[in-house]
Amino acid sequence: MRYAFLDEEAKKEIRRAILKAIAIPGYIVSFASREMPVARGWGTGGLQVTLSLINEKDILKVIDQGCDGSVNAVNIRNFINSVTNVETTTSTKEATIIQTRHRVPELELNENQTLVFQVPMPDILETVEPNTAKAKIMHANADYSKLWVLLYEDTSLYGDSRISNRYPVIVNKRYAMDPSPIPKYDTLKLNNCKALQLFGAGREKKIYAIPPYTKVKPLKFEDREFNIENFEGKVCEKCGSSNSFIDEVYDDEGKVHYYCNDTDFCDCNLKEGEE
Amino acid sequence: MAYYAIKGGEEAIKNSLDFYKKLTKKAQKIKDEDLIEAFTFSIDKVISEGSLYSKKLASKAIKRSAGDLLNASFFLRAHRSSCQRVGPCKTLDVNEMRLHRRISSAFKDIEGGQLLGASNDYEIKLLVELKKEEINIEDFGTSSNIIKSALTPLREDNLIKKLPKEKTTWDITRSFPTAPYPRSALLQVMSRGESGTLLGFSYTSMRGYGDVHPTIGDLRVGELDIKFTHPFLKKEVKVGSIEATAVESVGTFNSDENGETKLTTGFGFCFGKNETKAISMSIIDLTLYNNSYSVGTEQIVAADFEMIMHHVDGIESFGFCNHYKLPHYVTFQTDYQIFKSAKKYAKEKEEKLK
Repeated sequence: MRYAFLDEEAKKEIRRAILKAIAIPGYIVSFASREMPVARGWGTGGLQVTLSLINEKDILKVIDQGCDGSVNAVNIRNFINSVTNVETTTSTKEATIIQTRHRVPELELNENQTLVFQVPMPDILETVEPNTAKAKIMHANADYSKLWVLLYEDTSLYGDSRISNRYPVIVNKRYAMDPSPIPKYDTLKLNNCKALQLFGAGREKKIYAIPPYTKVKPLKFEDREFNIENFEGKVCEKCGSSNSFIDEVYDDEGKVHYYCNDTDFCDCNLKEGEE
Repeated sequence: MAYYAIKGGEEAIKNSLDFYKKLTKKAQKIKDEDLIEAFTFSIDKVISEGSLYSKKLASKAIKRSAGDLLNASFFLRAHRSSCQRVGPCKTLDVNEMRLHRRISSAFKDIEGGQLLGASNDYEIKLLVELKKEEINIEDFGTSSNIIKSALTPLREDNLIKKLPKEKTTWDITRSFPTAPYPRSALLQVMSRGESGTLLGFSYTSMRGYGDVHPTIGDLRVGELDIKFTHPFLKKEVKVGSIEATAVESVGTFNSDENGETKLTTGFGFCFGKNETKAISMSIIDLTLYNNSYSVGTEQIVAADFEMIMHHVDGIESFGFCNHYKLPHYVTFQTDYQIFKSAKKYAKEKEEKLK
């Protein structure tokens, strides 16, 4: 098997797409997208981005829904490890490449890190315009009126947008971008992030990026605040954190418990507490 | 403690794989040659949708997935990504096919005649055996049967609408186009598309959304030689042959750009013996490129490039459908929160009105 599974031509093509994506923040770049030994929709876009970047010096972390131990994360990490032999970690701090599904780590990322998102739907306009040809023209004209109308209608009916995750953001004051299905809670972390953020959609054959230190703003009316998930003062029962995204977990007796969603963040807090 | 239920993926995967291995153990005992011979249509479906012409690997894939053919095609596709591309072969001409079967429903009499070959189209589908009369099967012999398409005379008389030729052929496995999609890319997407999906989309056009009732001009199943320019000798060499199905369907007629009245055709081509798929593909091709020729409106599913380009691939739709099995608690949690606050807002609004 070739290093990092993909043949050299494929890696070259993907790297070129990544470079273009970085040069035009938020712009959606097409690429051929190879078939992976993991099903389409299970992170093949993120995998291709990771595999085309990774080298022997990298330390890899894979998370799915905030957890290093969930089946998809384990599967992807084992696969990348088996075709590259790179060191893997569960620690956000130590990792150089973090591939993620649906979360941005709680710990602030640094300049030596790359965050790779697995993306199911790359184009935010899909919600209002399923025809990709028409959506492309709308992006070219920065015509986001349909998104604004959607936001207006929701606000008038429900007091706020109904979009809970993959909330539309404007990147570098130009492109409206789908931030992948991260909760609204994570949206603000995209802004001015020190790490390079890459987005890969395998099934839809698209790559896009947010370079480090780029302005990313959620789409919002001037006189309305951007509200993130409110956990109503709930604290993690394990580490006591009150400033993290919280999971509601039911135990065998049907009782609700609250824990940090980001398991590494939680473990680190616990460790610090013990020391 | 419940918290740990979301961890421990490693052991869970291992156990699940062990169970699966046990469940499908018997399949591995079937010999590849037996499977290739006995389940020839399954093999052909898998090489076509997996877009890799290897009956042996298709057999392994079918055994691995214990007869789940979409899953088997997925194995082939994934394997394909790790293969280095040598280069494109010389363009195949379906007129040069060594025919095993060939049908034309457009003409009563055609050059070379109808060639039914092996087919169960006319079999009475009963699981119990009916009393059979003894018939002597005509010995088909080993003649190579190279017959031109039944539409060739019409084409030579310039009666069939020709679509503009593309300067270079697109390769969807090396770069993927954005709209407007070149025809070569669309045909490639359909050629490896899922048979059932293609049938579904083409059926919409057959039964009311598009009003296309095409006639099969030429349906052929047979063998084609693959010729390749040798990288060192620079000479054309035959590297092998493939079994394939090709269909030309004929639609209605209308005036072309020059005002000439022309017949329209659609083309379908895929690996192996896949007649329903090739017919469906030809109908969609016909519908896409000739929607103003047909009597129906243009706003129909089978004449929508986006609809076809992005929805006919089996491996992709299968993978995405099954990703719903992955955990989604973060997304659900945040959905749930938005729902609760919207509900609260609506209630407060209602109370204000009282």
